[in-house]
Amino acid sequence: MIADKLSSLLLDTTEANYDARGFHVQHTASADTLPQISEAFLSENFHLEMITCQDRRENDDKFRLIYQFNQYGTPQRHVIHADIAPDATAPSIAKIFPAADWYEREIFDMYGVTFDGHPDLKRILMEEDYFGHPLLKDFVDPPNPYRSEDDA
Amino acid sequence: MNSRFEVEQDPKSRDTYYLNMGPQHPSTHGVMRIKLHLNGERIISAEPIIGYGHRAHEKMAENRDYLQFLPNPSRVDYLGGMIYNIGYCQAVERAMDIEVPERAEYIRILCNELNRISSHLLWLGTFLMDLGAFTPFLYAFDDREKILDILDRITGSRLTYCYARFGGVILDIDDVFLDNVSNFCTYFVERLKEYEKLVIGNVIFRERTIGVGIFAPDLAQKYAITGPCLRAMGHENDVRKDEPYGIYDRFDFDVPTQTEGDCFARTLVRMEEMRQSIRIIEQAVNDMPDGLFIAARVPRRIRPPEGDYYFCVESPRGSFGMYIASDGSDIPFRLKLRTPSFSHISAMPAVMAGTMLADAVAILGSIDIVVPEIDR
Repeated sequence: MIADKLSSLLLDTTEANYDARGFHVQHTASADTLPQISEAFLSENFHLEMITCQDRRENDDKFRLIYQFNQYGTPQRHVIHADIAPDATAPSIAKIFPAADWYEREIFDMYGVTFDGHPDLKRILMEEDYFGHPLLKDFVDPPNPYRSEDDA
Repeated sequence: MNSRFEVEQDPKSRDTYYLNMGPQHPSTHGVMRIKLHLNGERIISAEPIIGYGHRAHEKMAENRDYLQFLPNPSRVDYLGGMIYNIGYCQAVERAMDIEVPERAEYIRILCNELNRISSHLLWLGTFLMDLGAFTPFLYAFDDREKILDILDRITGSRLTYCYARFGGVILDIDDVFLDNVSNFCTYFVERLKEYEKLVIGNVIFRERTIGVGIFAPDLAQKYAITGPCLRAMGHENDVRKDEPYGIYDRFDFDVPTQTEGDCFARTLVRMEEMRQSIRIIEQAVNDMPDGLFIAARVPRRIRPPEGDYYFCVESPRGSFGMYIASDGSDIPFRLKLRTPSFSHISAMPAVMAGTMLADAVAILGSIDIVVPEIDR
C-alpha cells in the first residue's frame, strides 16, 4: 500500500474532501525526500499528473512545489506540497518519471527554481535569451524596444 | 525504441545530420519545431521545441477575476473550445458550490459532444491530409461546418466559444436547435460508415499507420498519457466514466479501446468515439428537460474558499485539468492548466526514435496535438 511506503517520508498528511477539492490526500514533505517519494509512487503504479509551483514569497518567503500523482482506473489523487527557500534548489525526479522533465523545465522557466540532477535544464516556453521569470508575483513586463507608444 | 527499425550506425558518425521540422511545417498544425537528428531517413533522436505560441494564460489568470478569465480557456485549445469553456465553469462552480439547473446540464452535454465530434472531424481531415489523402479532408470539413453552424445558432461564435456561465449557460436553446441536432445525428451515423469505407480499408492508409508510432506499454505511466492515445494502448480510461463530471453518469455509452497503441489503433478509437458521442447526443436530445438554463441565484462575487482545487474534464485529446489555488479573494492566486498535448508531445522523443522521417508526420498527426494548448 502506498500509505505504508510513504508514512516515514512525509511531514504531514491530511485527507481531503474529494467531492469539493478534486483530490483525495494532501501531503506535506521536505523537498529532499521527493526522489524517495516518487520511487514509492512509481512502484505502486501511479503516474505523475503534473508539477506546478506557487510563488509564496510575499506570504511566507517560500516557493511551494506541488506534485500531483494519480492512478489509472479508479482515481486516487495524491498531492505533495514541498516548500523551498527562494534561493534553494530542489532535487529533480526526471530520472524516475520522464514526464517531470518538461514540468521541471517549465517551473525553471517561469519561476527560476533550479532542479539538481535534471538532464537538460533550460527554458521551455520563453525564448532562450529571455531574462526574467514571468510567473513571479513581482515580475514587471519589460518595455518592448520594437513597439512605439502609439501601438498600444 | 520501435522494434521495426534499429539504428545501426554510431550516432556520432559523420553520416548523420540535423533537420528542423517546423516551426512552419504544415504537419505540426501550428507553430512548433521538432529538431530531428537523422541518419538517412531514419530518426536517431527527436527533440520538440515549443513555446512559439505562448500567450501566458496562467499569468493572465493571476491578474483578473474568475469571470474575466472566462473567455480564455476556449483559446487555450481552440478546437475543443466548448469543452474547455464549460470545464472551467464547472471547476469554479464546484469550488463555489453553485447548483446548476437540469436543463443547463443537458445543454452542456449536447455542446460538449458536438464539439468533440467537430474536433475529431478536423483531426481526421488534417491527419489524412498529412498522409497525402486530400478527399477525406473535404468530406470532414464539410461535416464539421454543419456542426459549427448548429453551435453558431445558439452561441454566436464558431470557434472560440464563450457560452457557459457560472451556474448554467448564457442563452437558452430552442426547438429548431434540437431539430438540427437530431437531423445531424441521423445524417452523421450514415456518414461515419462512409468514412470508414473511405479510410479504414484503404491500403495506403493501412501501410502508413499499422505498426507505426507504437506507444510502448510502459510509456503511459512514465509520461501520464491520457485520452484516445491511452485508450489505443488498451486502457479503458475516460474521465467521463472514471470521475463523471456534470451529469455524464446518467448516459449510456461505451469507452472504445484498442490494444496495439499504433497510429492505426488511435484512428479506430477516435472513429468509434464519434459514434459514442452521437449516442450521448441522442439521449440528451430525448431527455432534454424544461426549466431554467441558468441558476436563479448565482453569487455576485466569485470568491472560492481558501485552498486548492483540481478539476479535470475529458477533452478530445485527453484529460484536461485545472488546478486553482484560491486565497479567498476575487483573483486566483495560481491557476495551472494541465493540458494533455503537453504530456503527449513530451513523450515524442521516446516514440519517434528509430522510426522513419515520413512516420514522424504520421505520429504527430495521429496523436492530435493542438499547439496553442501545449504552449498555453
